Amino acid sequence: MSRAPAVEVEHLAKRFGNTVAVDDVSLRIQQGETLGILGINGSGKSTTVEMIAGLRPPDSGHVRVLGLDPRRDRGAVRQVLGVQLQDAELHSALTVAELIGLYRSFYPDPRSAQELLDLVELEDKRDTRFERLSGGQQQRLSVALALAGKPRVVILDELTTGLDPASRRRMWRTLDRLRDDGVTIILVSHTMEEVERLCDHIVLLEAGRVLASATPAELVARAGTSTLDEAFVQLTGHDLEVAE
Amino acid sequence: MNTTDTPAPVSTRIHRPGLRSLAILVLCETKMVIRDSAGLIVPLGLPLLILLTSAGSTADQMITADRTALDLFVLPLVITMVLTMVGVLNMPSFLAYYRRTGILRRLAVTPASPVMVLSAQVIVSILQSALGIILALVVAMTAFGAKPPVDLIPAFGVLALTATAMCAMGMIVAASAPTPNSAVAFGLVAFLLLGATGGMFGGTQSLPEPIAEIGAHLPFGASVEALGAAWAGQPIGAAPLLSLAAAIVVGVAVAAWLFRWE
Repeated sequence: MSRAPAVEVEHLAKRFGNTVAVDDVSLRIQQGETLGILGINGSGKSTTVEMIAGLRPPDSGHVRVLGLDPRRDRGAVRQVLGVQLQDAELHSALTVAELIGLYRSFYPDPRSAQELLDLVELEDKRDTRFERLSGGQQQRLSVALALAGKPRVVILDELTTGLDPASRRRMWRTLDRLRDDGVTIILVSHTMEEVERLCDHIVLLEAGRVLASATPAELVARAGTSTLDEAFVQLTGHDLEVAE
Repeated sequence: MNTTDTPAPVSTRIHRPGLRSLAILVLCETKMVIRDSAGLIVPLGLPLLILLTSAGSTADQMITADRTALDLFVLPLVITMVLTMVGVLNMPSFLAYYRRTGILRRLAVTPASPVMVLSAQVIVSILQSALGIILALVVAMTAFGAKPPVDLIPAFGVLALTATAMCAMGMIVAASAPTPNSAVAFGLVAFLLLGATGGMFGGTQSLPEPIAEIGAHLPFGASVEALGAAWAGQPIGAAPLLSLAAAIVVGVAVAAWLFRWE
């Protein structure tokens, strides 16, 4: 018997006008697993996770998060799914503590403010306004807010893009703690090192389609290369980090 | 370890953020307005300027036994201006900015509902309006001897109705404006249109008949008329109240239809 999937996506498709953003994407994520979604810009990564989060209706196909439809069962899904979005800002003039207080109030049994501050190591910035935080600190706060409701599934879109190496490692430590708690994580990433370190499984998207779906080791073996970086180049013809 | 093929159970009891959450959101939105204080200058300052420039000539002009032109014409106009500015200019520009920067999108992936987010905006707008109105009334009464409405309770009723109607108009602006700049432009056009047809520039007598007639049924004109009646202690006609109620219904319906998180 297999474990029930935490997230199930079947034949998902989405067009914007004449542009095909996502074309027949299917994937399954087991509970407690960390899935990395990789691909160059325009490969459909963000659109896919936005449909999983229920932000966009798919043209066809379906999504289940812990057995629920993110659009039809919006209220129930919002309580078990935490989402950190790419390029989404927060109320600029509010402080870290005020934003945490606000987002905690949306959930019935939230993590304590102190736990959230500790988790993303922002205790010393609790009285700093969002607009005065560095990019890395803003990103970490955004992750803390995604975790406020003790979600069982978390979507993290471009988690460490633009972060300095120290902030990036700090963020990875946060993710390690989440994994230890059995949280299912969907990680959209540009960084091979990050994916290799954190992900149990990788889905490689290219022009809205699934090019490969495997563990990092399988992907390297399949490409016949020695690193994941080289495997990506081999499979897609692009250098991920240069392509950005 | 879960070894079944059925999805993990999810609580069927859906928690919706309640009044406590709304109160926290209102507090946060209020802090946003206070900390970005430039936004308060127009709704507080402009009506005060109009009051100061027209109060001198109207404060001695008796219209009824104990109410002057300042009480019956200028104050209803100034109060309506405050409500209109906050409703159709300030609130939509905040919402458009929230949409542009992704704040609404971020809220959309939490259990917060659009109704809660919009309600918080309306409540904060009403608080701002209250501040503007109190400021104008205090200045009018202390510096120019203005008197309160003869019918106080109906006046409060008209205030509440107008505030809601203007926020409903603002919802249409917020829902239809694609960018923060266009929200300011749409809001300004809406403000001038409502104001001009409602007598903001020298009363409705100088307007062509059909325009004055239309303006009287729009929320600005309806508010000035109803407030003027309450100030004079005369019965408020059904027409302005119905016009304000209609503006609320239309505004809410259009906003609900057009609202989008991003």
